[in-house]
Amino acid sequence: MYVIIIGCGRVGSELAKLLSGEGHNVVVVDKNRAAFERLGSTFNGLTLTGNGFDLELLKRAGIEQADAFCSVTNGDNSNLISAQVAKKIFKVPKVIARVYDPQRAHIYSALGLDVLSGTILFAAMIRDKIIETRFSGYLIETKELGVIEIEVKGALAGKTIAQVNIPGELLVTAIIRMSSVVIPEPQTVLREKETLMAVVKVASLNKIKEKFGLGER
Amino acid sequence: MNILIVGAGKVGYFLAKRLIADKHTVSIIEKDRVTCEELAKELDILVIHGDGCDPRVLEEAGIERADVISAVTGDDEDNLVICQIAKERFNLRRTVGRINDSKNERIFTELGVDVPIDSTAIIAKIIKGEAAFEDFVNLMSFQRGKLVIVRLDLPEDSPVINKKVMDVELPPDSVLVSILRAEEVIVPKGNTVFQPSDDVIAITSVGNEAQLLKILAGKL
Repeated sequence: MYVIIIGCGRVGSELAKLLSGEGHNVVVVDKNRAAFERLGSTFNGLTLTGNGFDLELLKRAGIEQADAFCSVTNGDNSNLISAQVAKKIFKVPKVIARVYDPQRAHIYSALGLDVLSGTILFAAMIRDKIIETRFSGYLIETKELGVIEIEVKGALAGKTIAQVNIPGELLVTAIIRMSSVVIPEPQTVLREKETLMAVVKVASLNKIKEKFGLGER
Repeated sequence: MNILIVGAGKVGYFLAKRLIADKHTVSIIEKDRVTCEELAKELDILVIHGDGCDPRVLEEAGIERADVISAVTGDDEDNLVICQIAKERFNLRRTVGRINDSKNERIFTELGVDVPIDSTAIIAKIIKGEAAFEDFVNLMSFQRGKLVIVRLDLPEDSPVINKKVMDVELPPDSVLVSILRAEEVIVPKGNTVFQPSDDVIAITSVGNEAQLLKILAGKL
């Protein structure tokens, strides 16, 4: 994939190194040349100094051939504009904008922009860590679905996955045995000390917690 | 009209005073607290201290009652986002956005600002016209650049000199607005006669500018 990243701060440089390490073609744009030092010596993509919504600069960055575009500077408005330029003017197939402000994130995602708000995600993550020790809603980008962790003990041991699944509400997707992960079949039998990872409808969360004896710590 | 201004710098301040003088209802949002306090003391309008990109601040400033928003901060990103939020979140029909960096003109137009105003380009155009003593000066464009107001100092060899206005056939979509003759401003009528060193002001569509120049000046 040909990916353009606007902003070479902590997130941008990390993303650039990640994608470049996986063999993707990466171009990083930042206003400040010194920011590229974060990329280290092993980064083999391109760097361009300038403004992330400068049409000429984006053309030089190869935006007309880009498969993906992400704007991850620390300025919400800059990211929103860069992303719209990439999407509406250059028709880049996959465009992502980082937005700190939850309100702006909601407005622009309603407009069809792919917006990631670190603020919303991080707040949800921390909340989950505090309140729902075994549940997290942040892995899946919807308010309806989450992932729950269930320890196998008592009556659960000896049951099959098919017996644990609740159609439309809970689906076991993985079993953690010791330190390895198994994707289970319906007839897989659960053993003591394993941990289940299940996708769960948020609306059914309380019912499921009750059923599996997952009180709040 | 009810007009919401974001940004109380030189442009926002001057704009607010002009609009108040014209009896419009004006409210203004400004990030800097000290500027807000001074403004509130001087002008009898609603002054809100806050970030105009924040929908709550826009609400507080009464965006739901506004007919027009004009985002005139010194930051193009802010101006564009303010116009977009006003349009998409509050369904405001008319958004005016100031462009500080002429490079961003296309982005403003493509991303839905109804009236992008590029002050640098406007000033540069005027200065260029004055400095080059060009005969033909583009004073202003509107209707998204489809119509222009132009000024022409009639050259001495102009073919229209001593002709009546009614005898000069203008290109389509062109109207004479006024003739400046020494200190006098004349509203041209059919029997007005063009004289040497008249300054003619006309409205025309962009495509007919050259034709108009040829008729009035006799050359391109």
